[in-house]
Amino acid sequence: MGRYCVKRLLSTIPLLLVISFLIFMFIHMIPGDPARLIAGQDATKADVKVVREQLGLNKPLLTQYGEYMKGLVTGDMGLSIRNGKTVEDTILPRLKPTILLTLSSAMWAIMIGIAIGVLAAVFHGKMADYLGMLIAIVGISVPGFWLGLQLIQMFSVSLGWLPTGGLDSWQSYVLPSLTMGSGVMAIMARFTRSSMLETMRADYVRTARAKGLIESLVVLRHGFKNSLIEIVTVAGLQIGGLLSGSVMAETVFSIPGLGRLLVDSINLRDYKVVQALLLFFALEYIVINLIVDLLYGVINPKVRYD
Amino acid sequence: MKKYQKILGVLLAGAMVFSMAACGNSSDNKDTSDETTKNSANAGSEAAGGADADGYIVKATNTDSKSADNDLVIAIEGSVSSMDPMNIPDTNAISATRGVYETLVKFDEKNELTGGLAESWEVSDDSLVYTFHLREGIKFHDGTDFNAAAVEANYERVMNPDNNLSQRRRFVVAKDDGSETMRIESVKATDEKTMVFTLTEQWSPFINRMTQFCIISPAALEKYGNDIMYNACGTGPYTIVEWEEGDHTAMKRNDDYWGEKPGVDTITIKEVPEAGSRTAMLQTGEADFIYPTPSDQINAIKGTDDINVMTADSNIMRYVTLNTGLKELSDIKVRQAMNYAIDQDAYVQLMYSGYAKKATSVVPSIISGYEEQKEYTYDVEKAKELMKEAGYEDGFKLTLWGDNTTQEIKGMTFIQQQLEQIGIEVEVVPMEPATVSEKIYVDKEDAEINMWYVNWSASDFTMDGSLRSLLYSTMAPPNSANTVYYNNPEFDELLDKGLKTADEAEQKSYYSKAQKMAWDDAVWLFLGNDQIIYSTKSYLSGVYVSPDGAFNFANAVLAQ
Amino acid sequence: MAQTKINGYSDQFAAAEELPKAKSRAKEFIKKFLKRRTAVVAFVFIILMIIMAIIAPYIVPYDAGQADYSNLLSGPGKGHIWGTDEYGRDIFSRLMVGTRTSLFSALTATVIGTAGGVLLGLLAGFFGGILDSLIMRFCDVMFAFPDILLAIAVVAIIGPGMINVMIAVAVFTVPSFARITRSATLSVKQELYIEVARSLGCTNSRLLFVHVLPGTIPSMIVNFTMRIGTAILAASSLSFLGFGANVTEPDWGAMLSQGRNYLNTAPHIVLFPGILILLTVLAFNLLGDGLRDTLDPKMN
Repeated sequence: MGRYCVKRLLSTIPLLLVISFLIFMFIHMIPGDPARLIAGQDATKADVKVVREQLGLNKPLLTQYGEYMKGLVTGDMGLSIRNGKTVEDTILPRLKPTILLTLSSAMWAIMIGIAIGVLAAVFHGKMADYLGMLIAIVGISVPGFWLGLQLIQMFSVSLGWLPTGGLDSWQSYVLPSLTMGSGVMAIMARFTRSSMLETMRADYVRTARAKGLIESLVVLRHGFKNSLIEIVTVAGLQIGGLLSGSVMAETVFSIPGLGRLLVDSINLRDYKVVQALLLFFALEYIVINLIVDLLYGVINPKVRYD
Repeated sequence: MKKYQKILGVLLAGAMVFSMAACGNSSDNKDTSDETTKNSANAGSEAAGGADADGYIVKATNTDSKSADNDLVIAIEGSVSSMDPMNIPDTNAISATRGVYETLVKFDEKNELTGGLAESWEVSDDSLVYTFHLREGIKFHDGTDFNAAAVEANYERVMNPDNNLSQRRRFVVAKDDGSETMRIESVKATDEKTMVFTLTEQWSPFINRMTQFCIISPAALEKYGNDIMYNACGTGPYTIVEWEEGDHTAMKRNDDYWGEKPGVDTITIKEVPEAGSRTAMLQTGEADFIYPTPSDQINAIKGTDDINVMTADSNIMRYVTLNTGLKELSDIKVRQAMNYAIDQDAYVQLMYSGYAKKATSVVPSIISGYEEQKEYTYDVEKAKELMKEAGYEDGFKLTLWGDNTTQEIKGMTFIQQQLEQIGIEVEVVPMEPATVSEKIYVDKEDAEINMWYVNWSASDFTMDGSLRSLLYSTMAPPNSANTVYYNNPEFDELLDKGLKTADEAEQKSYYSKAQKMAWDDAVWLFLGNDQIIYSTKSYLSGVYVSPDGAFNFANAVLAQ
Repeated sequence: MAQTKINGYSDQFAAAEELPKAKSRAKEFIKKFLKRRTAVVAFVFIILMIIMAIIAPYIVPYDAGQADYSNLLSGPGKGHIWGTDEYGRDIFSRLMVGTRTSLFSALTATVIGTAGGVLLGLLAGFFGGILDSLIMRFCDVMFAFPDILLAIAVVAIIGPGMINVMIAVAVFTVPSFARITRSATLSVKQELYIEVARSLGCTNSRLLFVHVLPGTIPSMIVNFTMRIGTAILAASSLSFLGFGANVTEPDWGAMLSQGRNYLNTAPHIVLFPGILILLTVLAFNLLGDGLRDTLDPKMN
């Protein structure tokens, strides 16, 4: 299995190369001149020219790409144009809050989402089903910024139970995790429900029932277990989405995460930071996919890696 | 069917409770609207609504409240993007660095120039030589001495192109052919405590620029180079603890400070982008000082007994540029008609709940040389009359560009509603700032601009800084921001004369004429001047926000 | 020549076989669907909204763009049943008129995105091989690309406006549909009736669109209806970030996002758009569930 992982990761290198080129061309295609933004509105054309040369933006695009890749290979990702920090120094401090938030949001959202989904499937067509799906739909149909601001008003200002933001203590994770996770929870619940409904009607489940197994055992051992592959796939995608940052939750709760960094950097046309972030997201997506594939094997030992 | 209704009932009730609970402690809706109408009446009579003479909008009733700790927390909207004072991109960073660093001269609370690290200074008669007499006995945070050599070292660092510092551009004039001329001919330390700056030619903004010139410990510069941003080392009342860009900046008191000892133990500047969250932090006590406080948040704070909301005049000019290169807008009657069609009172009310001032000249009243102009009183009939005279009775179509923030979009929508009254159909096009500037700074023949909803703040408070980039003929794009394509040789001459003279009365007479000229030519739609609104807990004193939006905390005191 | 004949024959054959059956199937479908009361209610709600989208501008009490600066932010009550917004405009009228933009753009974006995704998924699943890898790698890249960046890029490159926002939303609908369709296609491909059709000499395109595509529909419906909700919200999120479609025309998402500053002083501004969005998303989801269950032959 170790060998399989290495092979999988190595095979993604060409993909990453292609992605890096696409990303580079793509973000330079977006209109906007960082030199003008840095120099300021009142700067003259000559001022802007000086800045453009300083930033190396006057060279042909392909040359810039070549230099960028050369730097990348030697571990030099360049400097942020905002303040001259290295790209590593810009991105690394933002990783921790994003990862912690992703984990705390994903954990409750996936568990509760699956639980709601299973219950809804078991009580298909009954009140519990409707209630579960109602919760799920509310989760999908409330925008993050709205939910976040409401939670702050209720739990921080009116009740005074939880802090309004930041990431100073475990309490401060509660509201952002709720905000970020609600959508994930909803999606998990719906997918689990529909997948469970499918498997619960499969022949082997009927057989199990016919054999006289008690219902809860049927649900768990046969229905749920066979739905797991699909559930894990969806969960993987959702975690990937969370990791690339929820800019809304980060804005509302003043969290210095990757989502806000990405949006700020795009706004400033801070190309090197955007490139590095996008490459990171691509890599992260590949790794999550790998983990999901490995989990398939755990869930169903019949799956072989080759 | 019944089942569904039940679900619907639960759902609606849930949504209601959720939202109502959320606003439990604020006044109910009816109250809010009454308040707004009252402000409107105010706004009519005295231009800016609400604020009393001392600048209070909301004055805390509980004035003897106590702070639980001696740690000051400031919540601001944007990012402290650098702690290197010579490479500063924004006002927040300027404010934050002023805890650690000091300048030779500075603006005080009344916005008057006063000594900082320099005890006094004098200017030669030809306005070319500036001599600063430095204070003695001041030490940097690393224990080394502050002296004239340190000032010299800092100037050299800034001017070295290899360091890529943004402040350098303030001291050089770049030319189109790529060559540069220096504004300052020489910088010399004549002895330990005397600095002499000799200018290449007269340049009246020099002394104002020196208020941005922070002195960093040369020893620390030697040690860290440009990594000084992580290791700030100055002479200020606070020493740096940590700078986490995007999150917070922390400082602690410098007990060896040469001036009045700092009043609080620590300072934490937190970045809180969402306005509602900042307000919540002040309400819960997580922050002691928040800036800015959007005017629509004021009603949420009203009724909280230990919060002060205060205003100060700003140097922000809000206007819409009119491209005079367009056939319709080249007609002065049309431009005047458009100004008559804008209800400035409504603008101030709608955008700032009355906490702003109507524009009364091409510059805010705080700019030196300001003179009040004759108002374009809101009069739709007169505006229609002018449109008719110009031959545009049936109106025409225009686009309006601007930034894509909620507030800017709101302003643009207002302009669209107003101009509709005289038959001008406006298409509102909000864009990202980077995209706007890409579309603005193009050659004249490629210009697509009609109108631009924009604002300007001259950081040096001078008339030249306020008008040159925006209206001087050679400053038309792509060179700079004269998007009016205003080309008035007389106006140019007045600005040039003003820049060269050091005689205040003479300068004033030039600027008086220039202002009137631009105002009567109706180069812009004149809208308003923001007021800076900030809020504090009532136990906090000694903090304020300058007209340029820099927040000052050096003298903060938390009542214990 | 012989080929066409066979094809023609099989067409006729299929048509003759299917027509009467299709009729009774439709009847049976409607009968089954009517039994699902929640879905029917949802369906009626959606129809009402569509009617509203068409007639709203003619029946609402106020002009949706009519500002009234003397009556800013007034709460629900007489005159304005759902209150007025930050320009003194009637919220009820704006919401009703906004139905058109919001529903239309969400539906269009989802339909375009679904069509693109389904097409790619069908091709990948049906043909396999290099085409499959290419399409799936493309989807991987799309997945790895944050939605927000894509939206910003689309809007920045081709400018703001409703159509461009719809394109942005459609684009990030594509990869997930491609995936789902692909896996559905893979399983449908194994079914007996496909083999039969193939042996009867069906062309690939006919196989794809007449035989494989319908088989994948049930698994698509749930996702499709869920996506409509996401699309309405995406408009709101984009507006939050300043990339909204409409600033002067009424639009639910924009109303919700631009009103958020009044959440603690005049909550009615966001409450009503919020509830309307919630109900609409709910209706689409319930309808989707109902349709799916009705179409599923394994369910009774």
